[in-house]
Amino acid sequence: MSEALLSARAVSVRFGGLVALDGVDLDVRAGELLGMIGPNGAGKTTFFHALSGVLVPTAGRLVVAGEDLTRRPPHVFAAHGVARTFQTPRVFRDMSAAENVRFALEFAGRMRRHAHDAFDDAAAILGFLGLAWVASLPAGALTPARQRLLEIGVALGARPRILLLDEVAAGLTQPELEACAQLIRRVRDELGVAVIWIEHAVRVLMNHVERVAVLHQGRKIADGDPRAVAKDPAVIEAYLGEEGVAQRMAA
Amino acid sequence: MKTRDALAATLGCGLALALLPWLLSDFVLALVLSCLMYAALAVSWSMFCGPTNYLSLATSAFFGIGAYVTAWGLESMPYLAAVFAGGLTAALFAALVGAAVLHLRGAYFAVITFGLGELVLHAITHFEKTYAHTVGRVISDPPGGEAIYLTVLVVTLAAVATAILVRASRLGLALAGIGADEERAQTLGVDTRRAKIAAFTLSAFFAGALGAAMAVRWTYIEPLSVFSPFIGFQTVLIAMVGGAHTLIGPIVSSIFFSLLTEFLRLRFPYVFLLVLGALLIALVLYLPGGLASLFTRWRRIRV
Repeated sequence: MSEALLSARAVSVRFGGLVALDGVDLDVRAGELLGMIGPNGAGKTTFFHALSGVLVPTAGRLVVAGEDLTRRPPHVFAAHGVARTFQTPRVFRDMSAAENVRFALEFAGRMRRHAHDAFDDAAAILGFLGLAWVASLPAGALTPARQRLLEIGVALGARPRILLLDEVAAGLTQPELEACAQLIRRVRDELGVAVIWIEHAVRVLMNHVERVAVLHQGRKIADGDPRAVAKDPAVIEAYLGEEGVAQRMAA
Repeated sequence: MKTRDALAATLGCGLALALLPWLLSDFVLALVLSCLMYAALAVSWSMFCGPTNYLSLATSAFFGIGAYVTAWGLESMPYLAAVFAGGLTAALFAALVGAAVLHLRGAYFAVITFGLGELVLHAITHFEKTYAHTVGRVISDPPGGEAIYLTVLVVTLAAVATAILVRASRLGLALAGIGADEERAQTLGVDTRRAKIAAFTLSAFFAGALGAAMAVRWTYIEPLSVFSPFIGFQTVLIAMVGGAHTLIGPIVSSIFFSLLTEFLRLRFPYVFLLVLGALLIALVLYLPGGLASLFTRWRRIRV
């Protein structure tokens, strides 16, 4: 397990009496594309909060590239190459799209270079995401879907080793969803970063990731090859429910 | 390039202003001095509070600390050294309390910084009564009017130049990120705690130096007058009315305010505070971006 780039050990988060995460273990290797699914309230976003330092876990350890970052502030996680997006885009609304990406390049991105030059400045990153033409517009004026794309751009500006994507494809139509998945794959392929991708569109996600982890009521109930996970009775029971079984049979 | 232009303009204005003691009457010079003081206070306040949207009411605390450094030290050190020491003491104080309170936001931060002024006021009052057996201090040998004016001018220019440099620096960018979304800035690698303490300390240095420089204008120094919350409130008002997120706003607004206050005081000695209050309410209601937003609006219309 020493080759894991990111390693979460028995991570628990409690809010008062509510257990949001209950002893989750997860190892992510460099360059891995990992999907994360689970019903609403399963603890996926809470897990991202813990992985990025936004929320200090009640118990457990977080190791990034061999360094124990448990209880460290978010900027230390960023400095070690953990970059994330937020479910509701949190771009700097008054800054232009390009300034948003430049902000990340100037701080978290300062410590590292990308494997691929095409991702090393704001214009190139925005161009890759198809946002070149809105580069000088204030981020707050972009549509929600574009703000989600910009969130990816900002995270890329941080020159990550691990990219945490929290429902970046929410609200997209089927073809857009497919394009977004292709984009995420390209980011992984060309930069060699590890990606953990949370998405509610389970089927698209399953088609593109190599491995999927399932959270349910704060616990990890499955982790492995998407096809195997999809057949796992515990996952079907917990995540897809009766209705889901029927759907899967039909599909 | 833009930064260099702004610095050159600051220097040019400074040179022109340096000639005024030999051109103006004492009355007008006193007015200019008050403009300079409030310009420097408002600019240094905006250095931290403008981009971050934090509301600090600690200006009176820093100003008073500076004034007391002069009151205690002027007999044993030259005026200029006292001004510098006043700035450093206030900055040190700001760094210490900043480390303790800068995780607070909004009203909590405003209230605690206001409390700081009261805390230092009562601490010094107690100290003076118990150990020095005095309630105030007389400054026996104040420097001349020109020396005071030129010193305040230098501090003001230094504050403006620092504000220009901060805006163009990574620290300035970090502060803007903190103001826009502090947690997001953190996840993008900004050590927000360090940035906030640095900016808070920097802005306290100038408030402290001004307190130390202006203290000699009053021959008698006592805690209640130099820690007057009025100075802190006035600074915040000037900066907000001018537009705290801009550099020029607080400067223009301090001139506007000093002249307006003086004019109203002379013309309507009995109701001047009433008129001032009404004007303030109108400005905050109808011009929330400050006077600087008028300029932006005008430019937008023209384009």
